[in-house]
Amino acid sequence: MADKNVLIIGGGVAGLSAAIEFANLGIHVDLVEKSDFIGGHAISYACKAIHNTCVNCGACMVEEKLQSAVSHPNIKILTGSQVQNISKNSQFSASIRQGPQYIDREKCINCGLCLDRCPVDRAILQGFSKNNHPFYAVNKERCLYFKDQSCTICKDECPETAVDLDKNASEQPIEADAVLIAIGFQPYNPEDKPYGYGRFKNVVTGLELEGMIKRTGWVKKPGDNKPPEQIAFIQCVGSRDAKLNHLWCSKVCCGSALRMARLVKERQPETEITFFYMDVQTFGKDFEQFYRETREDIRMIRAIPGDFYETDDQRLKVNFVNNLTHETMEELFDLVVLSVGITPIEDIGSMSRMFKIGPDEFGFLKTDDKGISVSKNGIFTTGTVQGPMSIPETIADAGSAVWKIVKYFDGLKR
Amino acid sequence: MEIKTLILGNGPCAYAVAENLLPTGTKIIIATKDDTIGLDGFAVSDALQILTKTRLISCKSSVRNFKIEAIQNNRPVTIDAGHIIIAEEDQRTSNFSLYGLNASFNTITLSQMKNILLDSSSEKSVLSKIKKVAFLTGLVKESTPVIAKEVMLSSLLLQKHYNLQTYILTKNLKVAGHGLELLYRETKEAGTIYIKFTDAVPDIHQGEEDNIRIEFFDEITSKTFRLTPDMTVVDEAIVPSRYATDLAKIFHIERDVSGFVQADNVHRYSVLTNRKGILVAGPSRSILTDDDQRIDAENAALAVMGLVSGETEAKAEKAQVHEGQCIRCLTCYRLCPYHAITLNARVEVVPNACERCGICMAHCPRGAVRITDLEPGTISDMLTIDPGRQLQKTFTPFIVALCCRRSAAQARDLAICMGHRLPQGLRVVEVPCSGAVSYDHIFAALDNNADGVMVLTCHKGNCHSEHGNIYAGRTVVQIQEMFSRIGFEKERILIQTLASNMGTEFSQIVNRFEETIVKLGSSRLKKSC
Repeated sequence: MADKNVLIIGGGVAGLSAAIEFANLGIHVDLVEKSDFIGGHAISYACKAIHNTCVNCGACMVEEKLQSAVSHPNIKILTGSQVQNISKNSQFSASIRQGPQYIDREKCINCGLCLDRCPVDRAILQGFSKNNHPFYAVNKERCLYFKDQSCTICKDECPETAVDLDKNASEQPIEADAVLIAIGFQPYNPEDKPYGYGRFKNVVTGLELEGMIKRTGWVKKPGDNKPPEQIAFIQCVGSRDAKLNHLWCSKVCCGSALRMARLVKERQPETEITFFYMDVQTFGKDFEQFYRETREDIRMIRAIPGDFYETDDQRLKVNFVNNLTHETMEELFDLVVLSVGITPIEDIGSMSRMFKIGPDEFGFLKTDDKGISVSKNGIFTTGTVQGPMSIPETIADAGSAVWKIVKYFDGLKR
Repeated sequence: MEIKTLILGNGPCAYAVAENLLPTGTKIIIATKDDTIGLDGFAVSDALQILTKTRLISCKSSVRNFKIEAIQNNRPVTIDAGHIIIAEEDQRTSNFSLYGLNASFNTITLSQMKNILLDSSSEKSVLSKIKKVAFLTGLVKESTPVIAKEVMLSSLLLQKHYNLQTYILTKNLKVAGHGLELLYRETKEAGTIYIKFTDAVPDIHQGEEDNIRIEFFDEITSKTFRLTPDMTVVDEAIVPSRYATDLAKIFHIERDVSGFVQADNVHRYSVLTNRKGILVAGPSRSILTDDDQRIDAENAALAVMGLVSGETEAKAEKAQVHEGQCIRCLTCYRLCPYHAITLNARVEVVPNACERCGICMAHCPRGAVRITDLEPGTISDMLTIDPGRQLQKTFTPFIVALCCRRSAAQARDLAICMGHRLPQGLRVVEVPCSGAVSYDHIFAALDNNADGVMVLTCHKGNCHSEHGNIYAGRTVVQIQEMFSRIGFEKERILIQTLASNMGTEFSQIVNRFEETIVKLGSSRLKKSC
């Protein structure tokens, strides 16, 4: 297998896990990641251990995968990169466009001065893992230099002259014997829901809360940076929703939200937490006990609220029907967390055009469902591009994809 | 020597593992306690040996060289295998007692209902005589997507093909599986009535002639209803089989809370166990869907391929027992989480199985186990320079943090990357597992002028060596108690748990510890004092 080469598109849990498995078998991997950092959504997830006990969310395993992947000699990682075009004769020949690397990875020492001095919010992005080097990236969308060339503070202040805002994109050819599509999911954009996301400051998504806890160890209201007194978690935002034709359960949100809720309760015990849900899904191997303890700490309400309104002091007025008393309730929360679902990622469109494979009825992309005809061509999918999956499920699915590709290589030999 | 792979099981997952491995040229033995192998099409060949009526009783030695004693047809046999895959089927127990019911002709288990629906001939008459079927699932104990799928599929068939009215009584409907939300909607369209409960449960009476009467307060309509189904289907719990549990004991494999043959530990994703060379796939390790079982079989095959191609590991780097000092107290044998210690004429470490955690070394009462670079003397050498001394003006405590390489040491790196301030006098010493931390390490630090010593370890259940963090906790508590007795500040020793992705928390913990030590002042054990 040592002469084989695999192109993996996507550097999240699925892509990284698969890359490591290939690399361990001596197969060379080119891993192409669109964003500036590898690790996908999951690298921003916090450890949610409570009472010094692991709750098996799997977030730390993403960190471990990242570390193994960046240090493996058989894995070449290209961040900020996309497959431009691809053709296949005996092998796949792809052209990879790597966007400008404004911060030089060789020179950068991760001092963070660029971020400290940058006058614009989110114009310098910060990674979530020490294994993402550089730990910082320039966000062209917000940076003033790319607007009107009015600011070069990061470049001027960098002690290592690692910042070059005039860098150009580069293109490079890649040859591969198989392609593995692992481009992940799109968190549902809740702006279309009547929850005021994007308009009300103290409405955040579950993913944003994960990132907040990972960065700061605390939960604070984005509005005034103070700890919230009443938090509401709203489940199934963009999942199990017939109006959206999202006829699937995203599988991971109950686990993520309830684990976070209990972590917040442990670290900020004065916080009152309410959990709005349809059906609580089983997660983890000791769910029975976890759920029993959860109900002691957290108020569970089986209802999905209607419209939210923002009060003058940036609190949120939430209306819901109490399923037990049938009363219409109106309550105030100072932070609302929306458990946004796993939805098909936009890039499935370009992938399905490029590789001539159609998405399923809900828009996810899975080669397995198309019979062997597609994987016969050396194109495979893995991870949440195929539909909702937890971190452990994704790791297992990546192993399965690697096995299929190994068998495919074996078939080519005969 | 030819290395064989032993597959234990007689179900779809075991066969799938074999089907995956056979084309790779791996020599396979399938062993089952059952009388016959359940799947046709498996031809015994040079590459495949099938042992039926074979029950394992013990296993010696380690990866690449397992020596297994078994009973086949009442006769003892020996099986040599390099790698083992446990893929035994699970077992079901009915939940009748949870609902206060007894099994009867019209009160049946979910498996019985599945069999009725599968059987194309005889039993169909049962369904022709009835009109209403009630399913009870997840009302007392939480259910799983695997059971929920079976309940919904059965109800859909009854509704569509037999024109029966079905009711599903449940608390949380488990739709977190591929296609289950869709199936849920399909059953509703077909006419299944869902009655969901939040806190209350229905009153279920089994009367004379075994008729069932279910009374409940409906949360949606706020009315009390009475349901008298002609047939009541009760859900089941999925548990590991007795034999799988026995195998876990034979192989010294850590189990989860329900007894499945895999610890609930993220380091075991997806088919690994605490023993190198022993894998667990499918229903032996968890409650899994058919798809997940297929994926498991592929992962097991992949893992075997990795093990086969892997090189034998160098002995020098692993733990070694020094014969002259060993008194065969078997502490190392009992504590080794990887079961890498063998008892022959001598107590020996199997290099291939040793993960170099250091637990044996830390706990050997005679100091007979050694691991290069891990001995307290080496740690002591690492601490000879006291960084606090160069900063004499104000008291800068010298803090030694013995950090697990997998968790706390990673968290430290992340903290630095994130720009968190760490104490000036902090010295991190990486250990492969906090279980390697002994009295000697902690005293070596104090002896080298540390004002405080922290042991930073993994959260419970997250230790790669299963219990290394627990052992470290005991060591620290014992030292703290001793300090209390002799009048030395026990606050100078602290143990805390962390994960690799907790950079912020790492800085919070060490800075808080520094504050504590600043309050306590310089250690009286300091040589300069």
